[in-house]
Amino acid sequence: MTANIASPHGNQPGTDVLVIGAGLSGLMAAVHAVQAGARVRLIAEGWGQQLIAPGWISVCDRADDDVIAEVRGYAALHPDHPYAKAGDDAMVHGLEAFQAITAAIGLSYDRRRRDGHNMRLITMLGAIQRVMMAPRGIANSDWTDVTESILLVGLRGWRDFYPELAAGNLRSQGIEARAIRIDLPEPPGPWDRWPTDLARLFDSSAFRAAIIKQVQPHIRGVEKVGFPAVLGLDHHTEALTNLSEQIERLVFEIPTLPPSLPGLRLSNRLRRWLLRRGVRVQIGHPVTRGLVEGDRCVGVEVQALGHVTPFYADHVILATGGLYSGGIQTSETGRVWEPIFDLPTAGPDVPGREGWYYDRLLKERGHPIHRQAGLRVDHDLRPLNAAGEPALANVYATGHMLAGFNPLTDGCAEGIALATAYKAVHTALELDDKNHRGATDTGL
Amino acid sequence: MTPTAVDVLVVGGGATGAAAAYDLARRGVRVLLVEQSDLSTGTSGRYHGLLHSGGRYAVGDPGTAAECITENRILRHIAPFAIEDTGGLFVATPDDPADHPARWVDACRAAGIDIDALTPAQARAQEPALTPHITAAYRVPDAACDSFDLVHGFVEAMRALCAHSTLCGDLLAYHRVIRLVTNDNSVVGAEVENVRTGDRQVIHAACVLNAAGPWAGMVAGLSGITVKVKLDRGTMVAMNTRWVNTIINRLRPADDGDIIVPVGTVAVLGTTSVTTNRPGDHHVENWEVSKILGEADAVIPGIRQGRALRAWAGVRPLYEPPDIDHGDTSGHGVQRRFAVIDHRVRDQLGGLVTVVGGKLTTCRLMAEEAVNVVCDQLGVDTPCTTAAEPLPLPAFRQQYHRLDHRLRKLEHGQLPGQLICECELVTRPQIEAAIAGYGDHPVALDDLRRDLRLGMGPCQSGFCSVRAAGILHEVKEHSNLKVTRALKDFVDERFRGVKPLLWGHQLRQLYLDELIYRRTLGLDRLIAPTPEERLDS
Repeated sequence: MTANIASPHGNQPGTDVLVIGAGLSGLMAAVHAVQAGARVRLIAEGWGQQLIAPGWISVCDRADDDVIAEVRGYAALHPDHPYAKAGDDAMVHGLEAFQAITAAIGLSYDRRRRDGHNMRLITMLGAIQRVMMAPRGIANSDWTDVTESILLVGLRGWRDFYPELAAGNLRSQGIEARAIRIDLPEPPGPWDRWPTDLARLFDSSAFRAAIIKQVQPHIRGVEKVGFPAVLGLDHHTEALTNLSEQIERLVFEIPTLPPSLPGLRLSNRLRRWLLRRGVRVQIGHPVTRGLVEGDRCVGVEVQALGHVTPFYADHVILATGGLYSGGIQTSETGRVWEPIFDLPTAGPDVPGREGWYYDRLLKERGHPIHRQAGLRVDHDLRPLNAAGEPALANVYATGHMLAGFNPLTDGCAEGIALATAYKAVHTALELDDKNHRGATDTGL
Repeated sequence: MTPTAVDVLVVGGGATGAAAAYDLARRGVRVLLVEQSDLSTGTSGRYHGLLHSGGRYAVGDPGTAAECITENRILRHIAPFAIEDTGGLFVATPDDPADHPARWVDACRAAGIDIDALTPAQARAQEPALTPHITAAYRVPDAACDSFDLVHGFVEAMRALCAHSTLCGDLLAYHRVIRLVTNDNSVVGAEVENVRTGDRQVIHAACVLNAAGPWAGMVAGLSGITVKVKLDRGTMVAMNTRWVNTIINRLRPADDGDIIVPVGTVAVLGTTSVTTNRPGDHHVENWEVSKILGEADAVIPGIRQGRALRAWAGVRPLYEPPDIDHGDTSGHGVQRRFAVIDHRVRDQLGGLVTVVGGKLTTCRLMAEEAVNVVCDQLGVDTPCTTAAEPLPLPAFRQQYHRLDHRLRKLEHGQLPGQLICECELVTRPQIEAAIAGYGDHPVALDDLRRDLRLGMGPCQSGFCSVRAAGILHEVKEHSNLKVTRALKDFVDERFRGVKPLLWGHQLRQLYLDELIYRRTLGLDRLIAPTPEERLDS
């Protein structure tokens, strides 16, 4: 192991792009880098927010008509917003590349609306969320052009889905909906079922057959049939197609409490895709420190198996997430910071944390902390130091860790993740958009 | 059926009122206890859980110190089910006044408090989390006390006594006293209002005992007389684990952030002292949390980086005789001695006695002295016997009020049904039973929280609230809009307790909760904010 000390790169294979973080932006950054022919390593402490998020792709939820046009208009007026930093092209190409890669790995993400408007999707409480793109099962819930009734199917004895309440709230909004409960063919065990347990059951065609038999008598006058989003894990697409065909109605999924099956399916398949292309994927290993020489990051230290190991790379994509994932830390004294490179954030460094939160959790437009607790970056997505200059020449930040938007209220978290992942990799590798194969060639 | 005529109407279902009602029942007096909310929801329920040895008051308030140690021994004897004998330590750090320990030792001896001097090494052997920089340490007979258990113990004991006799001892919860009925310079009863239905009724009583704590001034004021209660708000912070197994007191003159109390599965840090003018002022300011954590960190290094679950505040009703002006604005300086005011003597108004001030530790003594005055007015000469005989073990102890009980049941397969609140181990059958217990009355999710501890664990209702709302909709057949509104109200109520603690892990937890409510559920899209809510910041 002395070779490691003698040479910065030691006996590790060379790494062109090191991605830190396995959320949506980290995984997609690794995909873009692979597609550009780079040697890629991905290190993450854990999976990202896709495991707690509903699973759809919010690009600009508040847009009343053309979503992309709304984003372009907004970015033009707000130069500090991550969409403006990433640029219009990165947003469009990032979305297209995501749609292409997910189709290639067998998980279709649909837009459904030909006019570029947001879909109107149904939540487990019966609210309507306007979203541009979603996994096919969730996108199928779009009720924009629904003329008949919607049927919601609950699973008797399962604690995480209450179809009667959802149907009641839908009817209160003028949407024709009703609810039924069906029995699970499997006898109940001593413990509650998690979404993942149910998803594995739905992977089995015999299990699905028993479900279908119970739903069929209720479909008269029904246009769509909704289930909690547990329709399969490894064989989700097959399960969705099979249910739709046998019930003879469009079947949709409704996101439930975490863990999120749509997020888990995506994580599993993207990881497998990366591994097959020789990407070294290390999940469960926290990066503790950046190794900096002059104005460049030459590598990072990783804590694993009881010791600290350095990993070296030419470019670093910092995709460690925001307040939830640990990419941005907060302290009781009011400090807000990025821990790996000790980068400053846009704030709010307020003694005593005054003004971080309003008095009500569901305050309209959200709490100030979310918009400010993130990194400020230049137009290459390089984090800025306290003086407002790029802190490091070869470190690029993406996704939730960027300042200037509220991921919980602004309805653009996934759009920003995809746009900035695309932009960061293309800037780092100095790729010309036209030469990049990512948007079209996603072959397995 | 609520009786409309009793001997004594006790106002206030906190520790003092409950102990007084029990005391009266033991003396054969017909009593009714009226409480504006639920039992122990005022100061008694917003308490840190420290059964004082008296050490904390030995130097500044020797009278209270002596009362504390006496009552400490009595409560251990009569209510062992409510007490965990953790023992206590007083520890001094280099930042504390060097001359204080010697004075404190003398004062403890004078008050009759048993103290043992420990070396710093002995103290750290007992509590390894303590700072290595201890300059002095003493062991005292402090204990942890569950005020909820204690108050219920008094009330159940009162009911048990009355079940075997013609006494009518009962509790009237969710009823507020809105008028004192007077007749010829004497209070002869009170008009009470059901806070849920608005129904009113008059209850005739030969005497009214005002044990309303922070509201005592308002209750006395209904008869036009003045009782000056100094309202002093104190904040407490619950950490998510038991950092210590012994109560830790700072050995210095009483100040903010002096105590650390292991209670159940958590450690409670307390307290601050801020003058307020509202009996229901339960807000917590960030500086109070920082102050408490900073002080605790001086004694237990690293606790400041621990995970704080919830912060809450209680209002101490400190009594100031009208003729004394302390000039000290901090509540720490006001004596904690209680007062029993015989309004027949002080205000020439018969039939009304007020008890105010004091400590939870001295609640039985306060009740005894107040009841003595009441009995004097009634012409009853039966002596107080509450110190002698242990309270019967309350029935609610079998209802898994405590997390460890629930866990034991769960591990032995005795908590069947879906686990709805995973933090506090609340099952669907328990929720259904609690809902059924309200009969035709409406049920709020916060009622279920108080009954079952739903949503009080680390996730602060992120997962269980929507499940409980779904069950409420199914079982109770409340409309979908009503249930959705109840869910939103519950979310807001839970947020109040964690808002001062949002950094690090707890901020991440609230991020998850907010993500569930806003994105996965779309709760904010279903319930429009009220005009007042729009204005609030």
